[in-house]
Amino acid sequence: MRIATSQMFSQGLNAILDQQAELTKTQIQIANGKKISAASDDPAGASRILGLREAVEITRQFQTNASAATSRLSLEDTVLDNVTNVLQRVRELALQGNNATLTSQDRQGLAVELEQRLDELLGLANTKDGNDEFLFGGFSTRTQPFAADGAGGFVYNGDQGQRRIQIAPAIRIADGNSGSEVFQAILNGNGTFRTADDPVNLGSGLIDAGDVVDPSSWIADNYTINFTTDSNFEVLDGTLTPIVTGPYDSGSVISFNGIQVAITGAPVAGDRFTVSPSARQDMFTTVQALATAFAAPDSDGAGAARLHNAANRALADLDQALENVRGVRAGIGGRLNAIETEQSVNADFELQLRADLSRAEDVDLAEVISRLNQQLVSLQAAQESFARLQNMTLFNFL
Amino acid sequence: MATGDLFGIGVSGLLVAQRGLSTTGHNIANVNTEGYTRQRAEVVTRPAQAFGSGFIGTGAQVSTVRRVFDGFLVDQVRTNTTSAGYLERFHDFSSQLDTLLPDPNGNLTPALQGFFSALHDLADDPASIPARQVVLGEAQTLVSRFQLLDQRLRDARSAVNQELGAVVGEVNSITERIGELNRQIVVAEGSAGGQPANDLRDQRDELVRQLAERVDIIAFEQDGAGINITTGAGQALVVGSTVASLSVLGNPYDATRSEVGYTVAGVTSLISDAIRGGELGGVLAFREQVLDPAQNALGRIALGVASEVNGQHRLGADLNGQLGRDFFTPIGQLDPEVRPASDNTGAPPADITVSLSDVGALSTSDYRLDRTGGLYSLTRLSDNTSFNLSVFPGGPETVDGMTFALGAGNIADGDSFLIQPTRSAARGLGLALTDPAGVAAAAPIRTAAALGNTGGASVSIGAVNSPDNLVSINFTTATTFDVVDNTTGAALASGVSYAAGAPIRFNGWTVNVTGVPAAGDTFAVDHTITGAGAGNTGTGVVSTASVSAPDPNLTDPVTITFDDPPTTFTVGGATTGSPSAGVAYSSGSPVSFNGWTISISGVPAAGDVFTVEPNTNGVGDNRNALSIAALQTADTLENHGASFGDAYGQLVAEVGTVTQRAETSRVAQEVLLRQAVDARDAVSGVNLDEEAANLLRLQQAYQANARVLAVADEIFDFLIGAVGG
Repeated sequence: MRIATSQMFSQGLNAILDQQAELTKTQIQIANGKKISAASDDPAGASRILGLREAVEITRQFQTNASAATSRLSLEDTVLDNVTNVLQRVRELALQGNNATLTSQDRQGLAVELEQRLDELLGLANTKDGNDEFLFGGFSTRTQPFAADGAGGFVYNGDQGQRRIQIAPAIRIADGNSGSEVFQAILNGNGTFRTADDPVNLGSGLIDAGDVVDPSSWIADNYTINFTTDSNFEVLDGTLTPIVTGPYDSGSVISFNGIQVAITGAPVAGDRFTVSPSARQDMFTTVQALATAFAAPDSDGAGAARLHNAANRALADLDQALENVRGVRAGIGGRLNAIETEQSVNADFELQLRADLSRAEDVDLAEVISRLNQQLVSLQAAQESFARLQNMTLFNFL
Repeated sequence: MATGDLFGIGVSGLLVAQRGLSTTGHNIANVNTEGYTRQRAEVVTRPAQAFGSGFIGTGAQVSTVRRVFDGFLVDQVRTNTTSAGYLERFHDFSSQLDTLLPDPNGNLTPALQGFFSALHDLADDPASIPARQVVLGEAQTLVSRFQLLDQRLRDARSAVNQELGAVVGEVNSITERIGELNRQIVVAEGSAGGQPANDLRDQRDELVRQLAERVDIIAFEQDGAGINITTGAGQALVVGSTVASLSVLGNPYDATRSEVGYTVAGVTSLISDAIRGGELGGVLAFREQVLDPAQNALGRIALGVASEVNGQHRLGADLNGQLGRDFFTPIGQLDPEVRPASDNTGAPPADITVSLSDVGALSTSDYRLDRTGGLYSLTRLSDNTSFNLSVFPGGPETVDGMTFALGAGNIADGDSFLIQPTRSAARGLGLALTDPAGVAAAAPIRTAAALGNTGGASVSIGAVNSPDNLVSINFTTATTFDVVDNTTGAALASGVSYAAGAPIRFNGWTVNVTGVPAAGDTFAVDHTITGAGAGNTGTGVVSTASVSAPDPNLTDPVTITFDDPPTTFTVGGATTGSPSAGVAYSSGSPVSFNGWTISISGVPAAGDVFTVEPNTNGVGDNRNALSIAALQTADTLENHGASFGDAYGQLVAEVGTVTQRAETSRVAQEVLLRQAVDARDAVSGVNLDEEAANLLRLQQAYQANARVLAVADEIFDFLIGAVGG
């Protein structure tokens, strides 16, 4: 076949240019370390890389969220640990003050410490986190949750909201508990009912916190144990209908409607004790009531009975408060565990995503460099053959 | 034999050799001339003289100097040049987007990610002003990224316009010169007794090749009139020495969009659609196949972000307890572009309003609305699907997430409108919110269980119903209906008495039903688009939904009090939703009133009270921030088929695929073109070695013929000497 001179030139030149273009592509891949510099290099891959990067970032965000939730839950747990310590100290004080050998002055000393402990407890309930927000306000994190109402009681100014944090695509975990749940909504008494003496009792009868024997027989109602004589009692239900009557025997249990209570000491005719369904009582009121009882001067036997009954009530209420805090802390522990599990799942997932991403976008350096060498050899060959061919012409011999 | 004859023969040989040497020299001189075809002097014997002893030759002569070429191979080069020009230009333009759109730092997804990550960070600490500022900052980055990408696409658009202008100018100058050459060749060949004007023809062929590179043409030679050229679709560009020119015109719907015009007999028509090859074809195809869909796709994502984020943001409460306002530019300000054709005759100019009723249903196509014979039809241009608008303009009509309504003015038959639902949205997107406290991270309501409750039931934290929830209105009898929120599963109302035309309000929208529905008929409100059930037997008609989310009574305090026995409850304070007394309790089932949904689970006691109240001071609430953040991965676009990131990934993949195809074709076409050029040059190209050999051959011939003359001279001298001596 006949070849035009210009053809020999352009074919040789094109071969060099093609090799150079390939070489440049390879060189760019080596410089960037990426297989794909334009979507057309691998359209499906380019789209997948975008998706994988997004997935990596989302997973990292979940890890950030999990850390935030962990730190807030840890802070809450620390605060609740302190609350537990304070409540236990208050319980010790209650037991100490309940001792009949203590003098009135001794108890007043205890009452002073109780007031301090109460302040401490309020301070803990009004704890702020690192962002200057109240830990126990529910959603109302800028509103101080607890305060004395000035009438001997305490108010909760927060709400029952519980914030959730997203730590996985389908998992949102609470990063705290409302003050209502932790400090306020605590059932008093033994959790089912609460016993109390009538403040005007004249005898020295003491009532215990009682027990539920048969929950299915329990009917929530306000019962009154009424001493008809020094040695006889009747139990009246909410309609003042007697449901149990009997002779009084100090320390033996009085059973009705699936519960039992025990009265000790020497009540007198006309003395009354009440058994009512447990109501929600904040722990500040519990401590305040104990402090008030200890601060009152004891006079006669009836006064001593009032004191001991109050101390017993406070002990039952304190146990409920401690139990409530324990329950909340168990929940926190569970959530911290769940977060930790999810964090390691997220970490594994992120690792997997990064491996996929690397497979999709990173060049195999060994492969690319050997390709580069091949291309260099080809280019050199093309250049040399071009130079030699261009040298060959008949005119050299004329 | 006369000595003169020998002289004559010698001279003829010398002349032939001279002509041959000239031709060879001409070939060598033009070895690098573009479009040059090697020439050859054709040598024939001169007429012989008859003698009694036979015919005696009289030498040689050059009959013609012809170009060595094969018309078929020239045509091959021409058609391959057209394809190569098309693919080259298409690929040049499209590879710009191909590297722009997936750029690791400059693409859309990192900006989307930044925005949603900021929302998650805000959800971790909703009361924090710095976290709120970061959300606004990232939102501004997202808006800027949309605008930046859109600007780059607009740059490509003006580059297309410039390119069209430049190429059309070149085409006109080339056709002009071809016409001139046609004239010159006819004159030259006529005056040369029909001998071919080789070099002029070479120039003309080269110009035709250059023309073919720019636009697809058909060229055919006409005897005595030169070469005639039409466009691929048959518009005559060159007829003899008469030349028609192309021009650049504005699109009738959009004056800023350049199109190719063709003028004949004073009438100009658009021929962009008819140009399918060459650089012009490549540029036009890029604009239609890559640029338009890409800009539309980007705009659609912008609309999706604006509509979804705004919608959810409005359901939340900000740091001051106020309901959320629009976060991004409201969708109402990002309406589709409606472009009337410049030759519409309806008077006064009709204004069609096209509003976006469901961003999730939008396509990335443009649409054309036509009126023909009094009937209105809408054509989706990407696949030429036609929709008959039977209600429009009497009432609004909805297609592909757009609602069409006629404003003032009349549409005349033959009028048409180009509708671009998403084209300019990325550019128009802005940030509507500037106050960090205005970020609605909280939900406007919260729930609480009364402290005096003795039962063991608890209440969920509650959520605000979205107006996008799929709701069905089910007629249980011809006069009563139930309303069910199918997204949350909550019964919104039951046993409502039907009054034709009375407003039905739930979840922040209002509709009404008119006509006579039958028992069993259903009406749906889906993404605020309403429709009657397919199996309806009555004549009831549902109106379009007017949306003003959330429910106006959303934050009214509501109490839920359990009856005795606690198997039912009574709702106090609710305006929307029914019934409010004796509602059956089922643990964990959704309960929905006033535009919120909660659930109560566990065992309540008689008299237990749960409340839903405004989220006053609820600055630590992150529910709405979480809901907005969840939009990142929600399939909100393409009829619940793609998230924002997915849609962008699709855009990248589509541009990448088209570019890759163009690249592959371009490489293949380059090979074809090279082969065609090689085949042509193998015949027509100058080979210097060949010419060198010819030089030797002709030089020898020249010397030999000179020798013939010398011999003739010697013979003559000898004869004179003999005679005269």
